[in-house]
Amino acid sequence: MRYMSMIVRLLFGPYPPCAEAHRPVLYRIAYAWCHDAALADDLVQETLLKAWTRRAQLRDENALRAWLVSIMNHCWLDHLRRRRDFEDVEDWQDTLQSVTDSPEDCCTREQVVEAVRAAVAQLPLGQRQVLTLVDLEDFGYAEVATILEIPVGTVMSRLSRARARLKILLEPVTGRQGAQVSLRRVK
Amino acid sequence: MNPVVSEETLHAFIDDELTVVESEALIVRMRNDPELAQRVCALRTLGGMIRLAYTDPPVVARRTQSVQRQQLARSCALGCLMLLAGAGGWVARGLEAEAPTAMVTATIMPDAARAVSLVQPADPDRLMLHLDSDNPARMEETLDRAEALLGAAASQGRSIQIQIVLNSQGVNLVRAGVSPHAWRLARMARLHTNLHFVACSQTIARFHAQGQRVELLPVATQVPTAIGEIVNRLQQGWTYVRV
Repeated sequence: MRYMSMIVRLLFGPYPPCAEAHRPVLYRIAYAWCHDAALADDLVQETLLKAWTRRAQLRDENALRAWLVSIMNHCWLDHLRRRRDFEDVEDWQDTLQSVTDSPEDCCTREQVVEAVRAAVAQLPLGQRQVLTLVDLEDFGYAEVATILEIPVGTVMSRLSRARARLKILLEPVTGRQGAQVSLRRVK
Repeated sequence: MNPVVSEETLHAFIDDELTVVESEALIVRMRNDPELAQRVCALRTLGGMIRLAYTDPPVVARRTQSVQRQQLARSCALGCLMLLAGAGGWVARGLEAEAPTAMVTATIMPDAARAVSLVQPADPDRLMLHLDSDNPARMEETLDRAEALLGAAASQGRSIQIQIVLNSQGVNLVRAGVSPHAWRLARMARLHTNLHFVACSQTIARFHAQGQRVELLPVATQVPTAIGEIVNRLQQGWTYVRV
């Protein structure tokens, strides 16, 4: 994909630097969605290519980040459709989960990172997308709704379910971390 | 007021989706409801853990390309070669744009020389920042430092408590109508339930004696004396930093 990127640049000139500057952001989101470094890199590359070809569609420079993420969402959905013949996007957005281990007890920073990633990967895709856009990139609910082309109410309910599920999945981690400051009621 | 605050409302609060009025009402409620404050704190901790988990996503080292891409790459290669001859310098310009974006990780620790603690090693998660001046630079430094510490702790998934202790002219930081940072303080208090501002009552009494009217911003509470507060907290294992 690097070659593609170079060739496109050779043929058409460099990307607008502002779009290229969002590469780390896009990569972080893509990785949080798919938990596969190679696929995330592909998605980002594909997104930047599409963004370049569609650059005339971007009216508001301030909306660049949201616009790029919305393109990446389409790339990601396309990828999933190619991978599996999903009939109905709505169905799998609520059910598809990555196959990873459950989070276990952990104490080091690396283990926390691993546990959180494993827990996020267990969330249904739709919830995972909303959660990562809100928590990693501070997108507002309305922005997320626009990016993912879903109603704001769906954004809120998915976020709520995602956090509730994470809370349960990460209890071994947070329980240990918070053991010093919070007391659990025992009856 | 509704006796139970819904999870959705708390989510909207930590995501900055509530109106200022709604947020402030919730902040007031949290002050009197430790369980509610704890729920907000837990949600923030969760958010911090998620951010921590994806601060440094693994970078792909080497991978295979799909057949489709290889074909596309090959078809583009011809055009590429033709252009190469005439556009060497311009090409180099295009490639330069690919400089890796450095991830800047801020590591802010309290100034060791100015930190005092009765325990060894000093607790980095319970901090008093003491300000006794209304020098604009020092006021700003205090707030910057508190924000940096809270931000660093959140990104590392740590739970931290910060108390900003104000006496003498430092009290001006939280005086309504006097503080140049009223808006920033409100914002910080809204974002961080584990940040507290306390002002010395003796100082306030002294201001009153001088005929000054002292009204504190809602974010601040009074303690009998700043020095007493500092000594108490030091004995409880807090770390003291004079700004």
